Amino acid sequence: MIEISGLYKRYHRQRRVYDWVLEDINLIIPKGVSVGLLGRNGAGKSTLLKLIAGMDTPDRGEIRRHCRVSWPIGLAGGFQGSMTGRQNVKFVARVHGGRYNVEDIIDQVEAFAEIGDAFDEPIKTYSSGMRARLNFGLSLAFDFDVYLSDEATSVGDRAFKAKATKAFKDKVGQASLVMVSHSEGILKDLCQAGIYLKDGQAIWYDDINDAIAAYHDETDAAREAREANGATLNSAAKPPATKPAAKQEGAKPAPAEVDIPDELTLPEAKKQLRQRKAEFDSAKADFEQAKADDLIPRERIVYGDALNAARERLHVARRRVQALTRLRREP
Amino acid sequence: MTEQTSPARRTPWQVTRSVWYAMFMREAISRTMADRMGWFWMIFEPLAFTLIMIGIRTYIRGVDRFIVNADFIPWMIIGLMGFFLVREGMMRGLGAVNASSALFAYRQVQPFDPVLVRHFLEGMLRTFIFLIFIAGGLMLGVDMAPDNALMAMFWWISMWCLGLGLGLITSVAGTLVPEVGTVIRMISMPLLILSGVIFPLNQLPHWLLEYLMYNPIVHGLELLRLGFFEGYQVVHGTSATYFWMFTLITLGLGLLMHVRFQEKLKAK
Repeated sequence: MIEISGLYKRYHRQRRVYDWVLEDINLIIPKGVSVGLLGRNGAGKSTLLKLIAGMDTPDRGEIRRHCRVSWPIGLAGGFQGSMTGRQNVKFVARVHGGRYNVEDIIDQVEAFAEIGDAFDEPIKTYSSGMRARLNFGLSLAFDFDVYLSDEATSVGDRAFKAKATKAFKDKVGQASLVMVSHSEGILKDLCQAGIYLKDGQAIWYDDINDAIAAYHDETDAAREAREANGATLNSAAKPPATKPAAKQEGAKPAPAEVDIPDELTLPEAKKQLRQRKAEFDSAKADFEQAKADDLIPRERIVYGDALNAARERLHVARRRVQALTRLRREP
Repeated sequence: MTEQTSPARRTPWQVTRSVWYAMFMREAISRTMADRMGWFWMIFEPLAFTLIMIGIRTYIRGVDRFIVNADFIPWMIIGLMGFFLVREGMMRGLGAVNASSALFAYRQVQPFDPVLVRHFLEGMLRTFIFLIFIAGGLMLGVDMAPDNALMAMFWWISMWCLGLGLGLITSVAGTLVPEVGTVIRMISMPLLILSGVIFPLNQLPHWLLEYLMYNPIVHGLELLRLGFFEGYQVVHGTSATYFWMFTLITLGLGLLMHVRFQEKLKAK
């Protein structure tokens, strides 16, 4: 169990005091419940994770860890670039004390990471995926009660993601997870509850899907606001006199091509848009994956086509939502 | 602020000890094995430096006999070794925190740990090199054997403590204010002469000596030499009390600075 009470955090740099990143956070993360942390970039997810890990201290409030908590497993930090993977693993094993046998841990990590001979090369020669594999494998070698993951799985290839997911599923009952991720598939897969961070506040959701929905509402609202702004800007920037012909034919040519099924309502269209966004995201992830795996072009083209199709569908859905919003505004 | 309770909880001392052990092992490997021929340079560099200094000195003034009851060459080797011990303590402190910043991801590791471990390792290596010099000198017929070995060892360790105190301060100040590093590198060369490593300070006028004796390295070096040469005339005004007052104050100040700025150092 991790208790967070009255937690405030802000950063001071070069005599400037920034706004609160986290403001009056009160949370209890129960034992054995895996939690996904959601929020936009800069919402304070990594900061909260660092505070839970004890890497950083809060300005006010306190965190009580009634269990063994890992370091934040992620891309940044934790390894010294000039030392080899083996030496780094040895170091961490020694830091964690005599309870563990250093040789066993090295063997375990080497087996999990599957980076071959690179294990004896300096960390600075590693790709980000190899680092993630090593860091992840290293944390799994210790019996933590709570693992903290900061986008640790995002750069891994498909095999690694599957392996990491399996490793965590095996640990259900013994250990839980607090994870920051922008890939919703893996959050839904591994987490039960969610914490949604917005404007320095943390909102706890018992169901990760609710947290994801709340996060989507925020991003959608932000996008709509931006597009509304953009539309007014455009109309202001274009004096109507310059294109009288276009105006007569239809002010906005692009939306004119949108075919809207009759029975489609705005909420449905939004839901569809969200679905297609998710599809697009997963298609994109697959495509990136294929690129990262160095597939030959003939095999990769399948993913490329799927991505293009998903993008097309996404655009259609977005245009429908826009058209419907406009219709509603000017009936 | 934060606390952790779990069934198999280690005591803070156990945690610190395993951190020191882990850090010592990694530092020892990276110091001696990482560079090409790291071992060779570790011994050859001070040796070459000593030979150059002896060469310059004898070329300028010839082998003089101004130093009472001490041969010139061992006198200077001891001075250089003692000076390097303190200076390296200061220099190693400068980079220690930044070099280990990746490791603060593990909450067991504090900024104080790399400074202490590096300094300890540096002291061990310097001691080893000094012993090699003594053995080499004896084999070449230079009288390097300490006349009062206990006293020599005590002052060698005292010099190490002074280096630690200065290193603790420079590690905090140099990390938070990078300009401090530049200043310290700048003064390290004149300090070599001002500390009476190459030229005996005895011949300097009294009014100048009054200021030079504020430098604790002079006190430490003179007392270290006194341990080596029976009947050696230390510079007038050498005081063990002053040296230890200075050392204890720097140690205390350095530790306080580490406690005060711990979070800032980690965040850097």
